[in-house]
Amino acid sequence: MAVELDCAGKSIREINTAIKQAIAAGESDVLVRNPGARHNLGVALLEPATVTFDGSVGYFCGGLMDGATVQIEGSTGWGLAESMLSGTVVVHGSAGNGAAATIRGGTVVIHRHAAARAGVAMKGGLLLIGGNCGYMAGFMGQRGAIVVCGDVGEAFADSMYETVCYVGGKIEDLGNDAVIADLTNDDAAYLEASFAEHLPDRLTELQARLKEFKKVQSGRRLWNFDKTDWEVWQQVV
Amino acid sequence: MCGIIGFLDKAAAGQAPVGKTVLTMLDALACRGPDSAGVALYSPPSRRRSVLRVKLGENGEFELRREGIAARVQDLGEILDISTTDEYLRLELDYQGDAARLSALIESEAADVEVVSLGNALEIVKQVGSPQNLEETHGVSRITGTHGIGHTRLSTESKVDLSHSQPFWAHGVPDLAVVHNGHITNYHNLRRRYEQHGIRFYTDNDSEVIGVYLADRLAQGMSLREALDASLYDLDGSFSYLAATQNELGFAKDRFALKPLLFTETDDTVVVATEEIAIESAFPGIGGVREAQAKEVQVWQLN
Repeated sequence: MAVELDCAGKSIREINTAIKQAIAAGESDVLVRNPGARHNLGVALLEPATVTFDGSVGYFCGGLMDGATVQIEGSTGWGLAESMLSGTVVVHGSAGNGAAATIRGGTVVIHRHAAARAGVAMKGGLLLIGGNCGYMAGFMGQRGAIVVCGDVGEAFADSMYETVCYVGGKIEDLGNDAVIADLTNDDAAYLEASFAEHLPDRLTELQARLKEFKKVQSGRRLWNFDKTDWEVWQQVV
Repeated sequence: MCGIIGFLDKAAAGQAPVGKTVLTMLDALACRGPDSAGVALYSPPSRRRSVLRVKLGENGEFELRREGIAARVQDLGEILDISTTDEYLRLELDYQGDAARLSALIESEAADVEVVSLGNALEIVKQVGSPQNLEETHGVSRITGTHGIGHTRLSTESKVDLSHSQPFWAHGVPDLAVVHNGHITNYHNLRRRYEQHGIRFYTDNDSEVIGVYLADRLAQGMSLREALDASLYDLDGSFSYLAATQNELGFAKDRFALKPLLFTETDDTVVVATEEIAIESAFPGIGGVREAQAKEVQVWQLN
C-alpha cells in the first residue's frame, strides 16, 4: 500500500521534504498526486524506494538521484534525471530537452519521444527511448548506452567517446566522428534483454525488428589529435 | 526567459472561452516574465467591421486624443463602437479598406499614438505588469472566440513599456500577430534592410522584426507554413515563436532547439506553451504533450 501525497497548495520544497520523510519512515512506495508539471520534483532521492508522479512533471525531475525508482505517468520538461548516479526513471509520456544528460549510471526509459540533446555527455547507464529523439542526442557520450526505437534527428552521436547507440528507425544525420558498426550477437542479446525488462508490452514487435537496429559508435578519429587528420578537425572545430 | 502560449479551439464554433483559457495559461507562466503581459485574441471575423486597439500616448490627454482620432476616421466609415480604458482606445469601424492607410491616419494624431492591433478578428491587449493586472484592467477573461496567443515578458534588451510588450501586431497586415521567446541575433541587419524599404519599426525590441519578416514573406505569396519554414534559416539566434492569423495558429522553433516549446492536440483543441505547467493549469490531464524538436514548424487551421 503506497503512501499518498498531494502537491496541491504545497511548495516544491514541502513536496520534496514530504517525499523524503515518507521514505525515511520506511515507505517503499510513494504516490504523488497532482504534480501539475512543476519543476524540481523528486530531486536527489538517495534511498531505494519507488516514487510515482501521477501526471506530468517539469524540469529536472529525478535529477541527482542515487538508487530510487521514479515513475512519471505524464510527460517531463528539460533535464530529466540529470546527473543521476543509479536508479530507474520511467516516463510514460514524452521528455523535453536534455533527458538523461550526464547520467553516470542507472536507467532512463521514455515510452514516447525525447526532444533535443537527449543523453548528452553520459558517463554510464542506459537511456531507452520508445519513440523518436531529436537533434544532437548522445553528444560527447563517454560511456553507457542509448537505445532509440524510432527515428533520431540531426548530428546524432556527435564527438562521442565510448557510449554505444542503437537506432531502430531512421538516422537523419550522423554527427562528427560517429560511425555505423555491425550489430553483433552480443548487441542483439543486450537489446532484447533491455526490451524485455523495460518495454515488455512491445517486446514481440521489437524482437521482430531487432535486425533493423543500427549500432552507432565513435570512429575514434577525434580521440587524439593527429596532423594527418587535419581535415576532420577542421570540420569539427 | 519569457513565456508564450497559444490556444486554438476546433469545437465551439467561435464561442470558446479564449480569453479565460489564454489568461489561465499565461498566469501559470507569470514567473517567466514579470515585466509585462499581453494577449492577442481572435473572434469570428466580421467582413464589415474593423476592430482596432490604439495606444493613445504616453502623457494623459487621452480624451482629447480620442476625440481627435474619432474625427479623423469618421469619413472612412461609421464608428460602430468606441471606448477607452486608461491609455487604450478600442474602436469598431465600418471599414474594409486598406489597413495601412487607416493605421497611418490614426497615428498622424500624435507621434506617441500607436495602433496596437487592427483586423477583422484580432484584438491585442497588453500592458506592463502581470497577467492578473491585465485581467483587472481589461477583463480579458470575458472575451470569447476561436484562438489566441499570449506572452509574459522578461525584458533583456529593450525598455519596458506598453509598445515594447508582446504580442506584436505586424503593422499594416490585418490580423497577423506574433509572440516570441528568445533573441533574434541578426535583428539589426534585418531591421536595416527593412528600413531601407521604408518599413517603420515602432520599438527597439528584436521580437518586432519577426512580424515584419512574416508580413514580408506573406506579401510575397508564401503561406504561413512556408513563411515559418523559411524563417528557420532567415532568422538567427534562439527562438520559439507563435504566429496567428485570422484562421491559423502556427509555431517555429530554431535550429538548435534553444528555447522550450511544448504542444498537444486533441479532437477539440490545440494547446502550445513554453512550459507544460501552463497546459496543465488550463487543461489538467490533457495528455499527449510533446516538446517540439529543433526546426519544427506546425500550423493549424480553423475548421
